[in-house]
Amino acid sequence: MGQLILGQLLNGAIIGTLYGIVALGVTLTFGITGIVNFALGAFMMLGAYMTWYLTDGVGMPYPLAVPCAVAFTALAGLVTDQALFRFTRNNLINGLLVSIGLIAVMEAAVQLVWTTTPKDMHYVLPGVVSFFGLVVPEMKLVVFLVLLSVIFATYAALTRTWIGRAAYAYAQNPEAAELMGVRTKLLQSGVVVYSTGLAGLGGALYTSLYSLEPTLGSPYILKAVEAAILAGIGSVMGSLFGGVILGVTESIGSLYLPLAFRDAYGLVFLVLILLFKPLGLFAGKR
Amino acid sequence: MNARVRVAIAVVLLLALPSVVHSDFVLTIFVFSFLLGMLAVSFNLIFGFTGQLSLFHAAAFGIAAYATHLAMQHLNVSFWIAMLLAAALVVALSLMLGTLCFRFRLKEFYFAVVTLAFSEMARLIVLNWNSVTNGSLGIVLQEKPMLWIPGQGLVKADSTLIWYYLSLLALALTVLVCWRMVHSWMGRCFAAIRLNDELGDVLGINVFRYKLAAFAAGNLFAAVAGSLYAYYLGFIEPGFLSIDQSLAIVAMVLLGGRGAVAAPIIGAFVLTALPHVIDLGAEMRLMVYGSILILNILIMPQGIYGAFVALRRHRHVA
Repeated sequence: MGQLILGQLLNGAIIGTLYGIVALGVTLTFGITGIVNFALGAFMMLGAYMTWYLTDGVGMPYPLAVPCAVAFTALAGLVTDQALFRFTRNNLINGLLVSIGLIAVMEAAVQLVWTTTPKDMHYVLPGVVSFFGLVVPEMKLVVFLVLLSVIFATYAALTRTWIGRAAYAYAQNPEAAELMGVRTKLLQSGVVVYSTGLAGLGGALYTSLYSLEPTLGSPYILKAVEAAILAGIGSVMGSLFGGVILGVTESIGSLYLPLAFRDAYGLVFLVLILLFKPLGLFAGKR
Repeated sequence: MNARVRVAIAVVLLLALPSVVHSDFVLTIFVFSFLLGMLAVSFNLIFGFTGQLSLFHAAAFGIAAYATHLAMQHLNVSFWIAMLLAAALVVALSLMLGTLCFRFRLKEFYFAVVTLAFSEMARLIVLNWNSVTNGSLGIVLQEKPMLWIPGQGLVKADSTLIWYYLSLLALALTVLVCWRMVHSWMGRCFAAIRLNDELGDVLGINVFRYKLAAFAAGNLFAAVAGSLYAYYLGFIEPGFLSIDQSLAIVAMVLLGGRGAVAAPIIGAFVLTALPHVIDLGAEMRLMVYGSILILNILIMPQGIYGAFVALRRHRHVA
């Protein structure tokens, strides 16, 4: 039993980082542009499909296909930002609805190009690692480590560089930041594009673990929004912890409680957090 | 032409429509538009007039649809009694959920997320309680409600024509009640809450009570629409409670317009009729739906009704 719990913990943590990377995009976009981009789930789906297409269709090696897919997703993000999200800054409801419309358009486009048949990529790293009697697929560990390092790198960039300070300044007081020489339009577009790129990376790594469907993004965006709120929206490391907490809650919860209600445990947790600690678990800490 | 005359003309036209149009296909579109219009109008009471973005609407609709069937099956009551029981259940649930949300002063996005969380839980229960709800397969409803029609006595509601008038009546009642609410002291309290609920509180408006009233009243009509919709369609499934259904309602309201009680009906009609009018594959249909939503927000954020009003005002000035 101890091993089972440990295994589920690890599994939950790995899934949790996938939630976390999308949650990071949700948090950053919300902090800088004031909208919740629900289409990030669709960008994740786009990144996943591009990776699959580039490896199995074009024949690129997987490590090369991932950055290409991420770049493509970020480019798509830039197009949507300039065409759509530029007009919904700081308008939560309009932004929400535009992103929902965008999900429909993107899913329809992927269905038109690649149909709804689930796609499976060949195994990238078929081996397993075993330690302390636990067996973990190598690929899962790689995904886990890549996502962790990207989240830590983002955190470092936001706390240690000029751009990060500009972003924090903007989040606190847009006018003052603009007066101090922050190019706010560029910053906003940059954050939207970076967030879509993060979602694309999540998708690109997802491809190596699971099979693809055009609707794969919708559970992830919901979990990501949950994770972002859980931790307190606006907190960078919080989105990682929120994602991991959510992933672990689900994995451990489904050991003891019916599996069918897996998605509900996170929701119950979320409601309790919102009622009793509405600013999130990590409120006040950046 | 004043408003009363225009409403009278619209009602007469809708009443007379079936005597001109005999196509079941067209009338069916109207029935669905009326029932979804009820959903959109009642949602607009919560969202457009009181300013609370509830994502519980589809859940109220779906819970009532299932509850009506279960009441008829297990309590052996007629459709109408079952519908009332289902509506009572939904009102009780929304009073509980509303009390929870409004007592804890959840606002805007947080209110939306908590209502969404509860409707997802409701959907998961319906999806997984196989012995009662038959899970993802849904339930085929064989029975039809009985109606008393002057001159014909008790009639089984199994023709599109009967459903046309039934759903039109239900929609008219919804619009009437919502109109009365919005254009009363209650409506002014709703508006105060929408514009600035803290200020409303300071002015002595019981913000909690009126938010709860709007939420419960909106869900009540959603419940009635759910019961009717289920028995018109003859089928219920967990998809009734899905997020997509809630978002479709939001889309109808935004497309129709938030500013007037009846405006969302336009949106309901357009979004219901459009897939039938232009014959497209599922993918293109999804793409058209998404594009309409995006263009609607970016170009015409006030909706069709709002754009029409603005156009008229513009012409008056010119």
